[in-house]
Amino acid sequence: MGIPTVSISITKDLTAAVGVPRAIFVKWPLGHPLGEPGQAAQQRTLIFDALLLLHTAQQPGIIAEPGYRWRREQYSEPAWEKLSE
Amino acid sequence: MAEERTLFERLSNRFFAIPAVAQFWARLSAGRTQGLLDAAGGIPFAPLRKPLGRCRAALLTTAGVHRRDQPPFDMQNPDGDASFREIPNRTPLAELMITHKYYDHTDADRDLNVVFPLAHFQDLAGRGVIGGLATYHFGFMGHIDGPQLPILVEQTARTVAANLRRDGVDFAFLTPA
Repeated sequence: MGIPTVSISITKDLTAAVGVPRAIFVKWPLGHPLGEPGQAAQQRTLIFDALLLLHTAQQPGIIAEPGYRWRREQYSEPAWEKLSE
Repeated sequence: MAEERTLFERLSNRFFAIPAVAQFWARLSAGRTQGLLDAAGGIPFAPLRKPLGRCRAALLTTAGVHRRDQPPFDMQNPDGDASFREIPNRTPLAELMITHKYYDHTDADRDLNVVFPLAHFQDLAGRGVIGGLATYHFGFMGHIDGPQLPILVEQTARTVAANLRRDGVDFAFLTPA
């Protein structure tokens, strides 16, 4: 059995083509998989989404799309306790 | 300096940073990538076997992150550099740097968490959201092509997977750039 992985994706078709087991896709500029510099809540939201997918995914090849717009979203600290439910 | 970008490379970085351009490029590249997937086996899938609060996590990034005292990734080979760099968990962020001229990492240079969220994961381990962190995390560069591709798949990936296994890692968090 392999090691479970979860990935951020910023190029959806390429992620699908290489067969990534679980990914969170955001249509953001290359070089910014977790968002903008200094924006901890944004970065942590992406980490939360990825860990939630890691925790809940039951089948391979899921590319989840939370749909966050670049620089036009308000982020807050994720509810980490949800990951232990 | 290991990473000198030409004017063309600088402009190219800017152009590909436009999300629509990047998605278009990804669609074209996807057509050339089919050979990487094991058609018989399909997409590999290993379920998480423990609650996250008991899992040991490793970070893997293809953003070209490495320690300042390690050799930088090879920027001369147009097919990229399929080697990897071990990043000890306790490394201060100031001791890390990026060598990767094929994307604009100005923002990641300002805040490494944009591509390599070590500070956030250390915080999550401290809060008990995850059980802990690996002894080593791993830096790679993307933009791997030609003869470097089989080196990545057959040597680098296997070596790193074996290292993660030996370290008792329960899951890996992957960030491209």
